[in-house]
Amino acid sequence: MTRLSVLSEASRLGAEQPLLLWLLPLALLPLWLSPRRATPLPSLGAVPSDTLSRGIGLVLRGAGCLAVGALVLALAGPYRSGARVTRTGIGAEVSMLIDRSGSMNETFAGRQPSGAEESKAAASRRILGDFVGSRAHDLFAVTAFSTAPMLVLPMTDRHAAVRAAIQAIDRPGLDYTNVARGLGMALAQFGSGRPDASRVLLLVSDGAAVIDPRVQDGLRAAFARIRPNLYWLFLRTKGSPGIADKPTGEDTPQAAPERHLDLFFRSLAVPYRAFEAEGPEAVAAAIRQIEGLERDPIPYVETRPRRDLAGFAYALAALGLAILVAAKLIAVDLRRSGAPRIRAAAPVPPRTIAA
Amino acid sequence: MIPGLPLGRNLRSRRFQASALALVLVLATFALPRLPLTRDGVAVLAVVDITGSMNVRDYTGPDGRPESRLETAKAALRSLVAGLPCGSRVALGLFTERRPFLLFAPIEVCADFAPLDGAIAALDWRMAWEADSRVSAGLYRAIDLAAEIDTDLLFITDGQEAPPLPRGEIPAFEGRLGAVRGLVVGTGGYALAPIPRFNDRGRETGFYAESDVQQENRFGAPPADAESREGYNPRNAPFGAAAARGSEHLSSVRETYLKALAERTGLAYAHLDGPGSLAAPLRAAATPRPLPGSLDPRPILGGAALLLVLVVYAAGPLGALRARPSLTPRKA
Repeated sequence: MTRLSVLSEASRLGAEQPLLLWLLPLALLPLWLSPRRATPLPSLGAVPSDTLSRGIGLVLRGAGCLAVGALVLALAGPYRSGARVTRTGIGAEVSMLIDRSGSMNETFAGRQPSGAEESKAAASRRILGDFVGSRAHDLFAVTAFSTAPMLVLPMTDRHAAVRAAIQAIDRPGLDYTNVARGLGMALAQFGSGRPDASRVLLLVSDGAAVIDPRVQDGLRAAFARIRPNLYWLFLRTKGSPGIADKPTGEDTPQAAPERHLDLFFRSLAVPYRAFEAEGPEAVAAAIRQIEGLERDPIPYVETRPRRDLAGFAYALAALGLAILVAAKLIAVDLRRSGAPRIRAAAPVPPRTIAA
Repeated sequence: MIPGLPLGRNLRSRRFQASALALVLVLATFALPRLPLTRDGVAVLAVVDITGSMNVRDYTGPDGRPESRLETAKAALRSLVAGLPCGSRVALGLFTERRPFLLFAPIEVCADFAPLDGAIAALDWRMAWEADSRVSAGLYRAIDLAAEIDTDLLFITDGQEAPPLPRGEIPAFEGRLGAVRGLVVGTGGYALAPIPRFNDRGRETGFYAESDVQQENRFGAPPADAESREGYNPRNAPFGAAAARGSEHLSSVRETYLKALAERTGLAYAHLDGPGSLAAPLRAAATPRPLPGSLDPRPILGGAALLLVLVVYAAGPLGALRARPSLTPRKA
């Protein structure tokens, strides 16, 4: 093993209750104290010193240290955290920008939902919910917008959380459709972490708004830097102007915001597609198409489960304790084994010897 | 076997018994399975007030600098979420204008901790879609929302109504008292503090002055004392002739009002004292939701074994201390 790999190995060790490790000095206790019976003896000098006794003494002290130290260690809950392995799967970083303006709660026919007719929000909730989690390695971020953009979830691989965010999108919406600031926030959701991953910005809205010319330049710069594939899922209400429809009067952004948002997107020089959906089936078809288009490899990190090391510590403790218990079991007192009897009232305080 | 071993005596020795028991306990850690156990988790909808008055900096941050109510509330929520038992679920909503806005349905706090924590950290007053702050309406609707998604409610607000309530009367609560349990969290200091003001690009430009905000709600019927006001005219000046004066441009936590709201809706009330102050009151107020869990018996067994071993080692010197008086030679 090289030094580096030893270091990385050591950096993965951890404890659940690291504060308990402050008790580790207790493991030195057996060096001073003996668990054995005190036998009154005038002086240790009375017993001839021999290598075997010293050896046994050392082993017993060592076993004591081991038992106490390993128990403290085991209580602290040692573990080795799982290695983080980078793998490659099929998927993309998807930043969803979802319109939460009030009109999303109407049906595709522009009415209040009733009976079998779904609202646009309910349809996108159902279809987007299926989209999330259909591929294991997609990452998602969710941004909502109406008058102001709202960061709902940062970029994450936790699909359950993303589905929880999508579940909330058919709740009553807010006031207006202010798409420019929403786009800014949705672009900011792409981190700098995965430069090689394919990036997808998915805008789901049922309308558009004028993008303030002052904001346009900032957005252009952000698009040029992040270079996402842009998809606009336009939930068109029946009878309302579509993306391609030219207004009868003056062709200004105010008169035809959808058309001009589309023109703005086309001018960005990023891969862009607009899907005009006039019903739930069309939304589902558009999502399937996007899924089919985004088949790029994406690196993802897999964390192996961590390994509990407390079992090892308990095994060491058991070993130390077993030695101590065995020593206790075969302990022999000098007094009982025919050694010279010593009076308890000896003038010298008793000393302990290893028996 | 060595002949002459005093086995019987050794077996009866307290120290041997203690050491052997410790060994048995340690060996038991390998045999005992994890014990099944139910714990009390929570399922809660946290609704955070992001109106202008939440920008008042009347808390002290961890670095000793003034910190806004919103930042303190976020820190408190994050520490609350980090401390909830696994299996608890948290949904997040915003409050401004007169209604809560659900950001996401309940998320499990352990497996999905990272996005949940990130979403709380990203809460910002700039997400507000309107500047009004009708706290009672927001609270009543948040209660309905919590009932719909089957959670308890944690409503974090400073209680400042903007515009002020007409005649200071609390609007009636039409829901069923106690149908949703939870906690109203009063946020802010008890002393009046100025409210920061931001321009349309989100930059701070100063503080609100007395004339910048509505000091009295002059919609609907005038208050009872209107007749005694200067310049009162029933048709032309039903609220008196003078401009309303007051302290609505300053903010402190409206505790009496929030307590009254909590009582009316059957929720509990707690004041936000700092990042760590949410867990205990929420646990007391929330519906306990039993979660399957398991208890690792090893720390208990190991702890007992450690105590036994330490006692065995300490018994020697302690015994000697006790025995010493009889052993020290008496001076003649």
